Amino acid sequence: MASFNPVGLPNSFIHAFRLDLPTGLVVVLSVVVGLLMVVVFRYTSDQKAIRIAKDQLKAHLLAVRLFQDQLPVVLSSYARILRGTGPYLRLAFRPLLFVIVPLTILIIQLDHYLGWTGLPTEEPFLIKAHVNGPDGLNTADLQLPVGLKTTAPPVHIPDDNEIVWRVVATNPGKYEIHVGSSDKTFAKSVTISKALERISLARLQGQFWERMLVSTEPALSSESRIRSIEVGYPARSISFLGLEWNWIWLFFVLSLVSGFLFKSILGIEI
Amino acid sequence: MKYPTERATNRLAIGLAVLGLVLLCPARSEAYAGPGAGFAVLSSFWTIFVAFLYSAYAFLTWPVRHLLRSIRRRKAYGKAQIKRAVILGFDGMDPELTARFIAEGKLPNLAKLQEQGSFRKLRTTYPAISPVAWSTFMTGVNPGKHNIYDFLARDLKNYLPFLSSAEIRGPKRTWKLGKFTIPLGKPVIKGMRRGTPFWHWLGKSGIFCSVIRVPVTFPPEKFPGVLLSGMCVPDLKGSQGTFCLCTTRHGGEKFREGGVRVPITPNGTALHSYVPGPEDPLSGSSGGELRVNFEIRPDLGKKLARMTVDSEKFTLKLGEYSSWIPVKFKAALGFSARGICRFYLKELSPEVEVYVTPVNIDPGRPDLPISHPVTYSIYLAKLFGPYATLGLAEDTWALNEHVLDDNAFLAQCYANHEDRERMLFDALDKTRQGLCACVFDTTDRVQHMFWRYLEEDHPAARAVPPDQRPKVIESLYSRMDVLIGRVMTQIDKETLLMVVSDHGFKSFARCVNLNAWLHQNGFLALKEGKTESGDWFEDVDWSRTRAYTMGLNGLYLNLKGREREGIVQPDEAATLKEELRSKLHGLIDPASGRVGITGVFDCDAIYAGPYVDNAPDLIVGYGDGFRASWDSVMGKVTSQIFEDNLKAWSGDHCIDPRLVPGVLFSNRKIVDEKPGIVDIAPTILNLFGLPLPGHFDGKPLTVAMEGAQ
Repeated sequence: MASFNPVGLPNSFIHAFRLDLPTGLVVVLSVVVGLLMVVVFRYTSDQKAIRIAKDQLKAHLLAVRLFQDQLPVVLSSYARILRGTGPYLRLAFRPLLFVIVPLTILIIQLDHYLGWTGLPTEEPFLIKAHVNGPDGLNTADLQLPVGLKTTAPPVHIPDDNEIVWRVVATNPGKYEIHVGSSDKTFAKSVTISKALERISLARLQGQFWERMLVSTEPALSSESRIRSIEVGYPARSISFLGLEWNWIWLFFVLSLVSGFLFKSILGIEI
Repeated sequence: MKYPTERATNRLAIGLAVLGLVLLCPARSEAYAGPGAGFAVLSSFWTIFVAFLYSAYAFLTWPVRHLLRSIRRRKAYGKAQIKRAVILGFDGMDPELTARFIAEGKLPNLAKLQEQGSFRKLRTTYPAISPVAWSTFMTGVNPGKHNIYDFLARDLKNYLPFLSSAEIRGPKRTWKLGKFTIPLGKPVIKGMRRGTPFWHWLGKSGIFCSVIRVPVTFPPEKFPGVLLSGMCVPDLKGSQGTFCLCTTRHGGEKFREGGVRVPITPNGTALHSYVPGPEDPLSGSSGGELRVNFEIRPDLGKKLARMTVDSEKFTLKLGEYSSWIPVKFKAALGFSARGICRFYLKELSPEVEVYVTPVNIDPGRPDLPISHPVTYSIYLAKLFGPYATLGLAEDTWALNEHVLDDNAFLAQCYANHEDRERMLFDALDKTRQGLCACVFDTTDRVQHMFWRYLEEDHPAARAVPPDQRPKVIESLYSRMDVLIGRVMTQIDKETLLMVVSDHGFKSFARCVNLNAWLHQNGFLALKEGKTESGDWFEDVDWSRTRAYTMGLNGLYLNLKGREREGIVQPDEAATLKEELRSKLHGLIDPASGRVGITGVFDCDAIYAGPYVDNAPDLIVGYGDGFRASWDSVMGKVTSQIFEDNLKAWSGDHCIDPRLVPGVLFSNRKIVDEKPGIVDIAPTILNLFGLPLPGHFDGKPLTVAMEGAQ
């Protein structure tokens, strides 16, 4: 199966820095987003007001040093630092309003690729279904395509209206499993792969916001007895600088670093 | 429905980030909020973190510091009669004008101060020139001990002038690399004023001092306190202020001094010009000039121009100043010099003219130290924004040369003044015990330039009918009075308030070219065939010259063994000085019949100290209405001895010091009837209970401790 590279990252870049594809992707995205952020920050913030607010804070900090032997001055400078932080934060958060929606959508989409890994072959994983009411547990049924098989009988957890199957894949690929109840059968994708793939953790009934965050598949019918079908994908860990990172933390750190770098180069106040 | 705990947290974080409600939580929300939020959070937390880190340091070291401070303060304040001294210096505030305006009820706060405490005339120095007088003010000694006799001193090797207060030279070592001369090290700045300012004695005893813009404090000296340098701080070119007139007009005379003319050239729909800057540090001795280009886009309909200077874009209305604009002069190999300047749109049609102030050292990123500690100028810049740092920041030359008109000049003066008022009140807030001294130059500059309107027949104001003359000086004094009133509301009973000026003011209606007199009376000779000499004695025959003058009041003998081509034998010096004194004293201006010179003072008699050898031989005291001519100051020899002064610079004080005492107001009664500026330093030390150094020439004034009582 060919690996998917959602931003068309040049392989030469990946190889040059001896990075794997997800790490390279996070690095490039962080740098690009850091740059975009400072540019957006430049045009959506009141640069003059930010400069003044920052200068005031720096002045009070310098006052603490310059007049260190005069306790009343030092204390009033501390008070002014605390007082000045509020207006500065308010000014600095204004640009956030402009980027929060597109950035959130971008990150949610990327999380489908970078947050989780595909499932390995020959290692068991769990498929769970939640049903409406305990009766549904008895009628729930899992149909697996060739290449997937159950390794144990399903486990019913009546307290949670949950039924769990343990499954193992024999071959890599993109499969479609079917979970049926008495009335209807629903499909759910299962990705068995080591490559970077778009992962859908669950298929859900309604729950728009939650579906947007975790699912890339259509909603389950609202009249169905099955409320959700989940596949237990493992979380992805990214190696960078000798540490294991969740991609979002790495993205956060790198985009900040790149933002601070670009703001100096472009002369932008943040 | 349940998810594994980790996943649930992640989803929750995403959701909350979308709502923007948990931007400060230590979870993954910052990442979802993006770097924008991260910047804000990190920057502000960094500030608070640094503040509290410093707090922790301060807290941990507090016991030791407190102990040391207590010991020092016990010593310092043990015998102190005051908790705080506030000295407001108003350069050139004149006692006669002040008394007149008080009598007319125009200065209520000074009247109140006089009533509560004292108002005295303050003896000034010989000569009555600001750098001389303020040096005496701060050191408590005569010029023979502090080495400042004028703005300029002369080089004995070539009869050329140099700035008397500070010397700035390039770095000692350079490295020649192809066409570049790379400086290895920083410029060498050497202060020429000697003596110890009294705030050093106070600081050493644990008394905190804030000193703002006192003249001749450049380069700033280390002491336990804060200081912002004043008069004598150079501009970025290293001069005492070089303005720039950018113009589309062709030709025009070269400015006599203080400014340069720069062409504005059309380029498509825009106009281009440049701000001349310092010499290229890499050009070595070839002296290439660095420049900052700027663009002007005039809008004649709206009477404004859109300006682009580096990355700064701003709009200037006709007759309006810009704020301080940062300019960066870039040299090769990454070298650069940073400064600030203001632009003034002078004319849009038919020609375009833009005046640019001298490029001041940027106080927020000073290339030369202009404060002690260096962070003090930065602190003030962060707190109040950029401000003028040039010693003579009010551009009197531009008004003299008609580049600025009266209103534009006043706007510039008062903008600078307002900055300094802010600095003063901040210093008052920060110096609740100790010394707070601040000198305002506005009084001096405005009186220099507007005295013409005080006199009915001043040559420089004859074109303006008396009923149309603005009351600039009256308004100036009123403004200073308001400032004093504001200060009076901020001081307590334990604070001594002194209002001090270094000298007074008189008219400067007639110029005296002393070199012309010396020439016509056989003391100065010109080269064969010459009847006049250009600047700096260009055509003077030194082999036949016995005396010469340069600067404002100094008269020099061409002494053998001292001057390079000296001819006066040392044993003839006393006789020659006496001859000059007797002939110059009482010199009459034939046109007015008035006495042009009322006193000539022998420096051997008026100065004492280790630096008297650097002093002039005689100090010339001009009469009321007279001063050294503009040409004479620059070592020029003309054919006329007396002439009208037609420049806007129409009032002066560089005359007989007995005619221009300064003022001394105090909120305490001062017993002494004839205090001198030399007495201020010993008085302050005495009031703080410190012993007086033996070399002081001044005596502590007797100050009553209960105000009017």
